[in-house]
Amino acid sequence: MMKITVCIGSACHLKGSREIVERLQALIIKQNIADHIELKGTFCLGNCAKEGVSIMIDDQYFNVSKENIEHFFNEEVLIRLKAQ
Amino acid sequence: MSLFLETGYTSLNKKDEELCGDKVETIIKDDQITLVLADGLGSGVKANILATLTSKILCTLIANQVSIDECIETIIQSLPVCKVRKVAYSTFSIIHINDQGHGYLFEFDNPQAIYIHHGSCKDLNRESLNILNKVVYKSELNLSVNDHLLIMSDGAIHAGVGSTLNFGWQRDDIKKYIENSDIDTASARALAWFVAKACHDLYMGIPGDDTTIAAIKVKRIEKVDLLVGPPVDKDNDNYYVARFLNNDGKKIVCGGTSSQIVARYLNKEVKTLFDYPDKDVPPIGHIEGIDLTTEGVLTLKRLLELSKRYLSISDLNDKRFKAKDGASLLADMLFEKATHITFYVGQSINIAHQNLPIDISMKIKLVESLANDLRQMGKRIVVNYD
Repeated sequence: MMKITVCIGSACHLKGSREIVERLQALIIKQNIADHIELKGTFCLGNCAKEGVSIMIDDQYFNVSKENIEHFFNEEVLIRLKAQ
Repeated sequence: MSLFLETGYTSLNKKDEELCGDKVETIIKDDQITLVLADGLGSGVKANILATLTSKILCTLIANQVSIDECIETIIQSLPVCKVRKVAYSTFSIIHINDQGHGYLFEFDNPQAIYIHHGSCKDLNRESLNILNKVVYKSELNLSVNDHLLIMSDGAIHAGVGSTLNFGWQRDDIKKYIENSDIDTASARALAWFVAKACHDLYMGIPGDDTTIAAIKVKRIEKVDLLVGPPVDKDNDNYYVARFLNNDGKKIVCGGTSSQIVARYLNKEVKTLFDYPDKDVPPIGHIEGIDLTTEGVLTLKRLLELSKRYLSISDLNDKRFKAKDGASLLADMLFEKATHITFYVGQSINIAHQNLPIDISMKIKLVESLANDLRQMGKRIVVNYD
């Protein structure tokens, strides 16, 4: 089970975390991988100063924006999932 | 047992009038509240002056234990005489009550008050007094916990006359309307709004008369402790959290870092869901043992908008908060339920927030405005800065 944690704290909310969450939820359904991914929210991850919304895949940090969310999903999420 | 008195009112201005000819005045003195609702003769400026003078004079005198006879005499001598009608006239209802629910009600020419006990509406026993040829009714008040007392100007019982209703909204109909709802479980302010809103609807949005509904409620004391922001002194997080948790109120934590500090102290986890009942308010969190956990500044900003609306005496939006977003949940606990609120405001600066519209000065400002609004609602507020 892969754990994806999206920051929904103040700063990330302003940077569009709600949209990021919706996009991820849609992508997960589209790829039919909901059984393999636990998507959850968290308050501030302490990375507010970086561009984009803070996301963790298991214990690794990423900063994702609306523009590169698909890229992130394809390159990080799907590839990791296949490797597992 | 110590109880708490809460008051609230809503006014509708007669169509095309900028000023209301009804006036509500409240004075809180020690453990007593004096509330006066006066309805001045006519409408507009003239009525407003009469009602303002009457409510102000009566409220000040009664709050200072002056006898009703002397009050009436003072009013008769001070009200300006209307040039057109050759009379000086204003109706009034006066509630003078202590926080045990004991006191008096005096009524002069306003519709009779409605006493709400366990969801049913009753009439109080009235004794008629003749003071300087005016008939004033006096009732003894013995309100128990969760009782409301509702007073109104005649705009309420005239609502809809000749349009939606042949004879207006009779007092018995108002009683039935209240009994058929669950509004008696809400605050005094919400009850007053609830009846005024119905009047507004019966007038089809164009009140034919100034209409004011005021209510007073006896409540059990309900304390809330609210922690917002981590303390400056990082090494003493635990000390501040312990002080917050050891106070005896319901617990609210606002802010991401704050909730992590509290969760760490309790050895629990902050759980968050992706529920966005309102897209502008970040989702709430959950910490076992904490009654409500929300995001910080953005939620508080929305809460402040809600408090402005809640405090407004002319805003007809629902005074109850049923939505499930963080700000509405806070509003329900703080505005509708709480009587005593203690703030624990941490002033630590979140470096990452500095160039965003959520920095520390914003947070402090929000808390200060919020505390002021809560004081205006009649709550007892303590603010600690850590």
